[in-house]
Amino acid sequence: MNKFTLTISSPDGIIYQDEVQGISLRGAEGDLAVLSGHVPFITSIKPGECKVIMADDSEKIAYVDGGLLTVSNDTVNLLAGSFEWKDNK
Amino acid sequence: MGADIKKLKTRIKSVDSTLHLTKAMGLVASSKIKRATDAMMKSREYADTITDAVSMLTACRECEKSPYLKKGDGKNTCLIIIAGDRGLAGGYNANIFRLAKEIRADEVIPIGKRACDRYGSEPVLAETFRYLDALELSKELCTRFSEGEFDRVGILCTNYVSIMSQEAQIKWILPLEKNENPNPISIVFEPDEITVLNSAIYEYIAALIVAAVRESYASEVAARRVAMDSAGKNAQQMLDDLYLDYNRARQGAITQEITEIVAGSDA
Repeated sequence: MNKFTLTISSPDGIIYQDEVQGISLRGAEGDLAVLSGHVPFITSIKPGECKVIMADDSEKIAYVDGGLLTVSNDTVNLLAGSFEWKDNK
Repeated sequence: MGADIKKLKTRIKSVDSTLHLTKAMGLVASSKIKRATDAMMKSREYADTITDAVSMLTACRECEKSPYLKKGDGKNTCLIIIAGDRGLAGGYNANIFRLAKEIRADEVIPIGKRACDRYGSEPVLAETFRYLDALELSKELCTRFSEGEFDRVGILCTNYVSIMSQEAQIKWILPLEKNENPNPISIVFEPDEITVLNSAIYEYIAALIVAAVRESYASEVAARRVAMDSAGKNAQQMLDDLYLDYNRARQGAITQEITEIVAGSDA
């Protein structure tokens, strides 16, 4: 599957920045997923679970407390107030 | 002569203890510089990213209706004043307060112990200021701004240029500046521009506040280090001069004593 660059930042700095296959989380109007080749897109996100599909097909789950998601040209920025991986895998 | 020596000795002692103090404070400040500038860089990164997103939003025509873009005449100004937690940082606090005098503010929100003391409110430390505090403050400010209580909100903070130089400046954060360049590509907003803008604004303002507090704190630490360095140098200089005087006086006393003894034995 095609990959894109995901950057997750919080006020304490960049938490994660790498190539991933997809990300799904809770948007303002329901759950949404972003894959490579998505149209330019901005939405606010609600507190909830966030699933990231890594480049090696593994999945990682995290909790976000809300924020903003911007997508443009295969770079995805997730601006979160706080972001915690579910476990330290 | 004897009284002179004693006076010099006490002065040497007091200058010496001042030297110790400035050295210790300088060391503490230099150990804090790294952490403070790291935190500043990180919060600046976040603020830059969110600023990009918000400027994409304000470029849309629909967002002109947002209450956050409404320009007022600057009659009701709210100012967030960020100063240091402690003194002995050269002109750091003085520069902020000098600039604060020039701007007429109807309401002041101080951050940093010195600013809080000056404006008489509960102390809020700049060193331990958290993002959640900023978010709370930003929500309050945005609500009051959209209700028309203020027509502009600014942050008075210190711009960290380098370790050697920092300057006080004012950043206007509300109303939002409209981005005049339309977005080159069409962007999908969900649910729509205004809703996204209205929910992103809290985080945007909070990010700006946090970035300003971190930058000011880094400036405070850097200013203190430089101030303590030069104070230490001055104290060393003074100490050298005093030692010279002291030794001269001591030698003078000995010479006089010898002269007296010789004169006495001659007689």
